[in-house]
Amino acid sequence: MVKIRYLLIGVLIVILGIVIVVTLFPSEEKRVKKQFHLLSEWVSKSPEENAFTMLQRMKNIGTLFDANCELKVPDQSLSGSYTREEISTYAGSARSHVSQLDLKFYDFDIAFPEIGVAKVTLTARLTGKSTAGEQMDETRELECRLRKIEKKWLFSQIEMVEVLKK
Amino acid sequence: MTVRHRIRQFFFPSFTPKFLLRVCLVALFAYIFFGHLCIPFRIQGISMEPTYHNGGVNFCWRVQYLFSEPKKHDVVTVRLAGNRVMLLKRVVAREGEQVEFRDGRLFVDGKEMEEPYVRYACDWNLPPRQVEKDYVYVVGDNRSMPIENHLFGQASEKRITGAPLW
Repeated sequence: MVKIRYLLIGVLIVILGIVIVVTLFPSEEKRVKKQFHLLSEWVSKSPEENAFTMLQRMKNIGTLFDANCELKVPDQSLSGSYTREEISTYAGSARSHVSQLDLKFYDFDIAFPEIGVAKVTLTARLTGKSTAGEQMDETRELECRLRKIEKKWLFSQIEMVEVLKK
Repeated sequence: MTVRHRIRQFFFPSFTPKFLLRVCLVALFAYIFFGHLCIPFRIQGISMEPTYHNGGVNFCWRVQYLFSEPKKHDVVTVRLAGNRVMLLKRVVAREGEQVEFRDGRLFVDGKEMEEPYVRYACDWNLPPRQVEKDYVYVVGDNRSMPIENHLFGQASEKRITGAPLW
């Protein structure tokens, strides 16, 4: 009986240890995913958002990107290389035209082709309402490249995959 | 065994090894069937109106194109990065065929297509284009919106994951 009790305590300690290690030292995949969750959180906008929160989020969005981030969008004039500041400004400008915005990411496929580089394929869904009351609903497949700089994964390239070629 | 006892046994079964095995088998079957073969999904958007309505529930039957290829007029599900978000579209042309829209009417290889499922007025114009090898041309049934707001075009056959059950 005593042996079983010790065994149970041992198993509990091992489980607790695993939980602590997983929480305190997340895998690289989790760290990459976290950047997407932060992007989703900071891009999204609720109708009650105040000016202070808006400014804070605009500033935060820039911190997720590399000094220069390349955007590849088929058939659109948005393609090009942007600095963090430009991305923050564009994001702020785009957010000011909507009263509500919700960005969600699904179906992550994360690969590490070389050390310090992550390639992520995922589905992004953007829903919302413009200030004019028009509904928005865009779903796209994205291919993103993130670089690990000073222990932080930063977006260095975002490419929109053309699933349906007109 | 009395009826009362049977009812009690049904709602409050005893956790015998046989019962636990049955529960595990049912759970495994449900996971395989609803997770990989017949995936439930909710329609979000109006691009397939009036055939499929926004908010409707259906199942993606993934076995449909396991041994056959999608035919013209079939409604198919097109995957993006994964299976959590998919596009629901209708196949209007197959590889090698030429697709064109003239004043809202669809022409395939120069012949006007009969499309009883298209009920709303359409004014689309799209110059002729040939469907590439191993691709199908997919369009939604609701063509009442401007052409630039409708997601349609050539999809790789590899992206066709199945068909809605009804």
